[in-house]
Amino acid sequence: MRRRTFMGKMGTGTLGALVAMAAGNVSTAGAASSSPLRYLRPPGALPEAEFLSRCIHCGQCGEICPNRCIKYFGIENGTEAIDTPYIIPREKSCILCMKCGDVCPTGAIKPIPREAEAILEDVHMGHAVVDENLCLSFQGKTCGVCYRACPLPDVAIYVARLEQPHVTDKCVGCGLCERSCIQMPQAIRIIPDRG
Amino acid sequence: MTPQRSFSISRHLNKLRWLSLSLVFAMLIALPCLHVYQTYVAAHAYDLIAPSEKQFYDVMEALTSPLTNDPATDLDAVKGNTWSGNFWGLKLSDPLAAVGQAAAGMTLYWPFLLTALIPIVVTAFFGRIFCGWICPANFLYELNSNLAAWLQLIGLKTGMRRFDRRIKYVVLAVGLGLSILSGSIMVAAIYPPAIIGRELYYAIAQGGFGVGMVFFAATLLFDFFVSRRGFCRYLCPGGALYSLLGRYRLVRIQRQVQTCNDCQKCNAVCEFELDPWHDGFGQECTNCAACIAICPTDALTFNLRLVDLAPQGPGHLGRQYRREHEHLDRDVDEAAA
Repeated sequence: MRRRTFMGKMGTGTLGALVAMAAGNVSTAGAASSSPLRYLRPPGALPEAEFLSRCIHCGQCGEICPNRCIKYFGIENGTEAIDTPYIIPREKSCILCMKCGDVCPTGAIKPIPREAEAILEDVHMGHAVVDENLCLSFQGKTCGVCYRACPLPDVAIYVARLEQPHVTDKCVGCGLCERSCIQMPQAIRIIPDRG
Repeated sequence: MTPQRSFSISRHLNKLRWLSLSLVFAMLIALPCLHVYQTYVAAHAYDLIAPSEKQFYDVMEALTSPLTNDPATDLDAVKGNTWSGNFWGLKLSDPLAAVGQAAAGMTLYWPFLLTALIPIVVTAFFGRIFCGWICPANFLYELNSNLAAWLQLIGLKTGMRRFDRRIKYVVLAVGLGLSILSGSIMVAAIYPPAIIGRELYYAIAQGGFGVGMVFFAATLLFDFFVSRRGFCRYLCPGGALYSLLGRYRLVRIQRQVQTCNDCQKCNAVCEFELDPWHDGFGQECTNCAACIAICPTDALTFNLRLVDLAPQGPGHLGRQYRREHEHLDRDVDEAAA
């Protein structure tokens, strides 16, 4: 193949790929919550499609997060999610300080007062689920770490006999339980609710 | 014998501009550093962090302790970058962020759009001063083009190709179109000042540069090897928007034809390859004042006017004008005699 033909083919190939990517975006816009990745949006984030259309990728939510739990996507979650904030609770989870909503200029993350009632009302990051086959307390070894890590104990999670954890539907999905679980892999994990 | 030129502030505006660019860039480095320091303070982590982090902590503590006793809270007052920032409660955003977000959401969300109001009004009065005086990417591009100029002095070839300036308006339109189609602000990924603000934060607080830096490095190489200042001149979507907003700016540079001597230094120094020598500034001028600084006869000045002057012909101190008007001089001399 002559060099010029090769370059030409490369050019059209790249263009084709770009168009395909754009087309892919169009078809998946709004369906982005079907991402295969298990990640959370910051507390107070709007439902996924609306969040993506609001977020301007300025990075202020991460820059104000005192726990440095907010990270930013590269290209791994699709082109429309580049530079948008996410949280992997097992690595570092949200402490519900609610500063990110105050600093967000577009309201992609709603401002929510740092009070239990407001947080229970408006934060829907996800919901904790216990795997009883992995959980030490369900295997006869009293643990209770997740209950002690929870910022909303006895509201979002309560423990029964042998510190066996039970998650209520009040759970907001901050992920502190998943972060603190001493089992490997973790016996409690957040199922994201990105709307 | 040359008469002593009187001091004029406008000749020194270019130095002030470099100071402004440096301060903005320094701010983009300082804010993520302050953020990391805040997280250490918030975690009461001094005894647990590594020695190198302790050094960092001590430096930040020394810098901030005169200003605040409660860094974990007080330093939240200033956050963000030139794309969108929060300064003591005043939220400011780039007009491109406002336009891009409106396109992505297909709705007008006023609390956010109003944060771009001050920049838009300033642009309407002063033109593209964001590009010349604030843009952190312009800071690097300008250093890059200065490096290229030095390398040309010692005989190395750097890119000097020219393209059509109107390409950037197409880039703006396509970027906004893709934002509408994808429902996400796509222009943010190809707008260098937004990239620089984010990527400096990623590099300092998130452990490394992200994908945006690949794009930015490519634009630097493009400027260096293909086209001097090519990205700003021909491709930048934000530059395109600022040019449109500043088309009828009130404050613009104009040439005083009486004192111009046709030396053309203004044309040579213009980063945007405009034509001050023929009164050609147009909507692309960033009011950077480099031409004012270099003019040997102070023939370029800031004026209040909504449009450029029509071409005024050769400068009255230049050779061409004097040759064409030689007979006038002779008449004057004869009359005097």
